[in-house]
Amino acid sequence: MREKKSAIELEDVCIHYSIMNHVSIRKTFLRKKKRNEVFEAVKHVTFSVQEGDILGIIGKNGSGKSTLLKSIAGVFSPNAGKIDLKGHSVSLMSLGVGFKDTLSGRENIVLSGMLLGFSEREIEERAQDIIDFAEIGEFIDRPVRTYSSGMYSKLAFSITAMLETDIMLVDEVLSVGDEQFRKKSLSKMKELINDRKRTVIIVSHSISTLKELCDQVLWLHDGEVRRIGKTEEVLGEYAAYMAPEAKSPK
Amino acid sequence: MFFVSIAMFFIAPLTAWKIHSAMRETNMWDKKGIKVIAAYFLVLNAAAFAVSAYRGVDMQGWNPFTTTVSFRLKYIALSTLMGVCMACVLCGFLNRGITVAEIRKYAVRFFVDMKKYFPYAVRAARADLKAEVTNSFLDWMWWLIEPFCMMLIYTVMFGVVFDAAEEYFPIFIFIGITMWSFFTRGITGSVEMVRANRGIVTRIYLPKYILLFSKLMVNGFKMLVSFAVIAVMLVVFRVRVTGSVLAMAPILAVLFLITFGIGSILMHYGVYVNDLSYITGILLTMMMYLTGTFYAVAKRIPEPFGTVLEKCNPIAFLIAEMRNVVLYGQALDWKLLLLWCVLSVFLVWIGVITIYRNENSYVKVI
Repeated sequence: MREKKSAIELEDVCIHYSIMNHVSIRKTFLRKKKRNEVFEAVKHVTFSVQEGDILGIIGKNGSGKSTLLKSIAGVFSPNAGKIDLKGHSVSLMSLGVGFKDTLSGRENIVLSGMLLGFSEREIEERAQDIIDFAEIGEFIDRPVRTYSSGMYSKLAFSITAMLETDIMLVDEVLSVGDEQFRKKSLSKMKELINDRKRTVIIVSHSISTLKELCDQVLWLHDGEVRRIGKTEEVLGEYAAYMAPEAKSPK
Repeated sequence: MFFVSIAMFFIAPLTAWKIHSAMRETNMWDKKGIKVIAAYFLVLNAAAFAVSAYRGVDMQGWNPFTTTVSFRLKYIALSTLMGVCMACVLCGFLNRGITVAEIRKYAVRFFVDMKKYFPYAVRAARADLKAEVTNSFLDWMWWLIEPFCMMLIYTVMFGVVFDAAEEYFPIFIFIGITMWSFFTRGITGSVEMVRANRGIVTRIYLPKYILLFSKLMVNGFKMLVSFAVIAVMLVVFRVRVTGSVLAMAPILAVLFLITFGIGSILMHYGVYVNDLSYITGILLTMMMYLTGTFYAVAKRIPEPFGTVLEKCNPIAFLIAEMRNVVLYGQALDWKLLLLWCVLSVFLVWIGVITIYRNENSYVKVI
């Protein structure tokens, strides 16, 4: 039996946001010295994912899940620590972003694909599959800004699902579209996941989805790893933790 | 005596190095400091020599032991001025010290990234052009109609009302408007570039200057369409075109480079400074009048200022040269063009390094 290699390794990853945000020139002149506060979104996170495994990340809003995912996708690099993808290609699937509004769906498929590292020819070959899967019909040649939000997310899902990268990062997109498409995307997701070469990280609030899909779950709390381990155990603890808190405001 | 003679080469680099170390608040008497001063020494003296050669100083000026006091003083003044500017630009624009290793690293990365993302930039530009065509009523006709109408307005305003008397006035203006609008569109676009592409930037990594590059290709294509109109107008007005018209290509290339350079620097600041677009708007309007989009700077503004303005403002220079080679069959001032080419490469380099260093935090700000 072949030994499993790890596909993603994170070592002591820290990500900061400096709360300076926008500077306007008037503000700069009026206030002499801005305090440059630093918000630590992710603190000293270390974990690794084996090739072909599925890792779920769960946690409260603002606990740094999406930030971590973006960082793994390479949108920005961490302020400290190392992220090693072992040379695998990676794509981030998240809601509602990634399109140029004025361009048609077809153009957006090609452009997204090219940014994911595919050649124009490879994308042309798969374009029809993507369009079929997304079920947008003739809208594919209209500008993306005319799409309904459902069509928008369906297209986004299809692009990442059909252009297969070694590592898929999924940010809360499993509840896309109508009931029928949701079932279809979930089964497509399972199909992708069952390919034992593909490594997947899923961020979700839905305990049941994670329970169904994941081999391993990471619980992120205030940017730190609270717990990582077997799906059942971590999710059980998480549910227990969240339950009283949900009641407490009343 | 020997030291006095060669002092002229050292004053500027020492000043620049002093400013450099003061702005960086570091002690620079170590190995790194020596490297910095050596770099300043080479660059500043090379630049001062280049300027002397361009100004046509006689050969006596090349020998530090026999040259005149007047040349010495001018040389020192010039190189010191350049040194101060260079130090301020380097330390001001780049918030940390540059090391040679870093320059090499970013240069390699720039070429690797350019190769990797060039097809994307081309495809995105093509898609943008196509989208513009399909979404508008008159299709690509707008690329002709817009500059053409502008040309008519200016021709009537300045040709008839203000009685401008340049030869081939409509073409004269058309060239000015076409090149100026390429520049101004690039600059205005670059300030909002990262925020306008939020969707892409927050989802995937790409070197952010690729966005600008793609945008400039779109604008460049439209500019070429306008130049096709100019070609037709040349026939209509029976302009005698000479071989010097071939110089169009290098002029346009430098225009592209300089827009890319300035644009990439502004793009970086545009991410952080919300009201930058107002400032660039004002400055561009002012620049437009100083650039001579509808008059000849060197002729209309009293000497020496006219010539100085034309040579020191790259866009004015490029527009004037373009008119000279296309309309009046004059030879290209290739020395000055080369100088601006070098400077614009320098600007591009500053812009690209600034973006590489800071793009990590762009996503977190927008």
